[in-house]
Amino acid sequence: MSESALPRGKSKPPTPWKPSKKLDNPNAVPSLNGRWGYLFTAPFFIMFLIFGLAPIVFSVVLAFFDVDVLSGIYNPVGLANFTELFADSRFWNALVNTFDIWLISTIPMIIMSIGLAAILHNPFLKGSTFWRTILLVPNITSVLAIAIVFGQLFGRDFGMINIIIGALGFEHVDFIQGTTSSHIAIASMIIWRWTGYNALIFLAAMLAIPSELYESASLDGAGKWKQFIYVTLPGLRNTITFVLIVGTIGGLQVFAEPLILGGSYNGGDSGQFSTLTLFLFDQAFVGYRWGYAAAIGIAITLIVMIVSTINFFITRRIAGDKS
Amino acid sequence: MSNYVLKNPNKRPKWHKVSFFGYLMLALITFISIFPFYWMFIVASNGTDEISKIPPTLLPGPRFFTVVSHVYEALPAFNQALLNSFYVGTLVAVAQVFFSALAGFAFAKLNFRGQRYLVLFVVFTMMLPSQLGIIALFKEISLMNLIDTLGALIIPALVTAFGVFWMRQVIDAQVPNELLEAASIDGAGVFRAYWSLVLPIIAQSSFVLGLFSFLASWNDFLWPLLVLNTPENFTAQVAVNQLKSSYAIDYALNMGGAFLSTLPLLILFIFVGRRLVRGVMDGAVKG
Amino acid sequence: MSLKWISTKTIGSTVAVLLAIGTLGVVQPAKAVVDCTGATSDTDTCTVLSINTFGDVIEPALVTDYRKLHPEIKLSIKKSDLDALNGTGLYTQCAAGGAGNPDIAAVEISYSGFWRAYPQCFVDLRTMRTTVGNKSATDLKKDYLSWRWEHGVGYNDAVIGIPTDVGGLEVAYRWDLFKKYGLPYKRDDVSKAWNTWSKFIDFGKNYMSKLSASDKKANIGFMDNVGTIYPAVLNQGTEKYYRNNGTDQGQLIFKTNKQVKTAFDTTIAASKAGIGTRIGQFSSDWNVGMSKGTFAVMLSPAWMMDYIKGQAPGTKGKWDIADIPGGGGNQGGSQLTIPKGAKHKQEAWDFISWYLAPDQQLKVFQLYGLFPSTPSLYTDPDLVGYKDPFFNNAPVGKIYVDGVKKLKPIFEGKLQRCIDMAMGSAISLVANGKEKDSNKAFAKGIADADKCK
Repeated sequence: MSESALPRGKSKPPTPWKPSKKLDNPNAVPSLNGRWGYLFTAPFFIMFLIFGLAPIVFSVVLAFFDVDVLSGIYNPVGLANFTELFADSRFWNALVNTFDIWLISTIPMIIMSIGLAAILHNPFLKGSTFWRTILLVPNITSVLAIAIVFGQLFGRDFGMINIIIGALGFEHVDFIQGTTSSHIAIASMIIWRWTGYNALIFLAAMLAIPSELYESASLDGAGKWKQFIYVTLPGLRNTITFVLIVGTIGGLQVFAEPLILGGSYNGGDSGQFSTLTLFLFDQAFVGYRWGYAAAIGIAITLIVMIVSTINFFITRRIAGDKS
Repeated sequence: MSNYVLKNPNKRPKWHKVSFFGYLMLALITFISIFPFYWMFIVASNGTDEISKIPPTLLPGPRFFTVVSHVYEALPAFNQALLNSFYVGTLVAVAQVFFSALAGFAFAKLNFRGQRYLVLFVVFTMMLPSQLGIIALFKEISLMNLIDTLGALIIPALVTAFGVFWMRQVIDAQVPNELLEAASIDGAGVFRAYWSLVLPIIAQSSFVLGLFSFLASWNDFLWPLLVLNTPENFTAQVAVNQLKSSYAIDYALNMGGAFLSTLPLLILFIFVGRRLVRGVMDGAVKG
Repeated sequence: MSLKWISTKTIGSTVAVLLAIGTLGVVQPAKAVVDCTGATSDTDTCTVLSINTFGDVIEPALVTDYRKLHPEIKLSIKKSDLDALNGTGLYTQCAAGGAGNPDIAAVEISYSGFWRAYPQCFVDLRTMRTTVGNKSATDLKKDYLSWRWEHGVGYNDAVIGIPTDVGGLEVAYRWDLFKKYGLPYKRDDVSKAWNTWSKFIDFGKNYMSKLSASDKKANIGFMDNVGTIYPAVLNQGTEKYYRNNGTDQGQLIFKTNKQVKTAFDTTIAASKAGIGTRIGQFSSDWNVGMSKGTFAVMLSPAWMMDYIKGQAPGTKGKWDIADIPGGGGNQGGSQLTIPKGAKHKQEAWDFISWYLAPDQQLKVFQLYGLFPSTPSLYTDPDLVGYKDPFFNNAPVGKIYVDGVKKLKPIFEGKLQRCIDMAMGSAISLVANGKEKDSNKAFAKGIADADKCK
């Protein structure tokens, strides 16, 4: 929430005491008729129910069956898919990989995005239109081309990165066979594609921070760095939370980049960069075990829920301490 | 020099000039961001065996237009595919912004029963892996007779949980309650308040959301590949995929197609970029 | 000025006019050739046949030929990745009852095991009759290599697809490098020197011993990837992972089939002998390596020759083709099927039977290098006598003909791909040094294959 000059909540006209009915939305404007809320949200919910939720719910129900979709065979098996999943080393492998990739991609990316936005935010920046357009170039570059380009860059014998590594006197790194090395390769693909995108989000948020705050800070003698920490960052608190949550949800479901690197759904010959959604897809479209894939889907959802919640509370606490 | 308008020229905020280090970082990021795109052009213009050259050529070659003609030979409807992508992307962007703003406003500024659960529900739905729904969604779309039409891409994408979440954040942050209170006291209804007050304020953030929606639609690959059969109905990503030959990969052809499919968007962004900057900067002055 | 005169003239000109009209009617040009190239959906005069393939299974020159034969048919071709086409695509369409099915779908042989378990997703081609000649699949069967034909036969004997090309498998090698290191380099000598897999591995060891230390450090080796040996050996047997028991599930025999263990052990032996560079096929390192002589040997299906020509034009004349150890081999190939939701089944069948007939397959070979699966061509001098200058004028036609004749039909089952991946994974573990004990790796491969359901 931006630190607008008029702090929230303080300007509500004093209302007569009402029996406290905990409001669904404490930030609402009380004089606006809340009933409209149903109408305004209806289009979203209706369409989402039909096209977003229904297909997934159908598949989720399959988690309790042993299914052969093409033969039309549906055997209810209760929790068997889940018990099998719990004992499946491939699942835990995918889980560990997913978390690893998520950590080494999300944290540097958010830091870089904020830094980038800060530079772009500066009104003295020359050529800002140009720089801002560049931000989105990775995002519009065709996925097919990226597969080829990054596949080349990370080649063990002749890839450009390894040539540089070799020139510096080190041994070539196998970015595809290695576990950590493949995670680094994937993380760099994610960072490459999404840093500019997130920088734009942060930039939009930074521009919403009133300049008076900067003015008063600099008049108080705060230098560039201090202004950043005491004006910019707090103003970005909500945005950081937002980006982190979306980044968590997206990051834990990372799919395209490992698929691009490996070329198939197995996530490398020994599953060294198999991720949760890749594993789901593998079970769904290679193994055709739709019941099992659905169980994986439910597991992913639960994991994302837990991590997002933890994330949310941690961010709130840290940001709370700062301001 | 940027378009920043000083409110009080006598009291200049002490922005420091961007340091050399800052420009260096920008230059580095630009290089890294653009390089793959440039590399596509190099390979397309030099020929397939360029991929195998060590050290690689870093300058464009003479064969670009030959490769381009091969692309159109392989897929005469290539331009149509780009247009289709623009068409679908724009419709999806407009729809998503429209519906997300409505719902986001309701969640941010209105109070109605069950709201909190609905918000959590929206966030929850973002956590479901979309890959699960493919088969059922395909069946739904086929029942609506939309297979092999652009409608199959547009209809399922009219709303997005991310958009609602985004709009709620944005409206919460940028629209002061006092403003709406004042309007409501003046007799404005909810819809009037929404239309005349909220929308103008969130214009540039809406634009950013629209941009993201457009990009997501543009980049979508798996689903369009699944539902589109006739080359004239393809989108850009499916079209580039069409350039595959049997088992081998004609790198020059693929890169040529990929380059051609990215270029119009890049050019568009250069123009849109100016508007984006101006729009955002205007917002900054207002805020 | 008599009536007679007028009449004559009138009659004359009338007759002349009538004749002219009549002549026009008789001599008018054959009905105007309809142009359907712009059609995107069926009209009164045009039928659009939708075809889904991975890459150029349907070659452009023949599309033009067919248009001349049948201008009222528009071939609308969609190309995609193999997994997207044969996996996700066909599967989703069949699950939706055939909605969205193209009229013709190419099914690659690595997927044949799976789709043979679900013949209900396709039209049984034994029930189709060509418009000309009234031919069904049963009539066409004799035209094709028996083991290639099997890839298109369901577990219940329904014919779901007709074979396109045959990959075959021989060995492409750099004769100039063999010569450089003092090894036999003429193709007959080479073929004899490695006519078994153990001799092949020894040959490789010999080659490796001639390399300098700096060569080895730069990861230069004998063959590109020893992993390619596994499927090659497996295909040289009579059984693989399954036995057909007339049910859609088939009988799994991969745990007890000795051929599986033999294939695995041979590959591991090659790996332990260090003769492979461990570069993945079709990776960028592999493309570069082809040009630079990083590896001297590749197991090569017929269609690979074109690939080498495209990727490494600078090596022209330096390659040759020798026989593969152990007899023949195969990599790649596909069947053309008519999915059950096809809207133009008759036109599809007419096209398929035309496109895959020996005459057309010969033309495809001449223009595009894809090897025919029709044995009647194997005595055709155009095919058998074909020599390729890029490959040192090797008589590639004859070499591949000899090779493909040696294979036996092998029944593939539903979990073929899954098991292949599990075993391939196990081999990788050893090849990349992650598992030293090959027996443990084999056990892991089998255990993972067990998880395929």
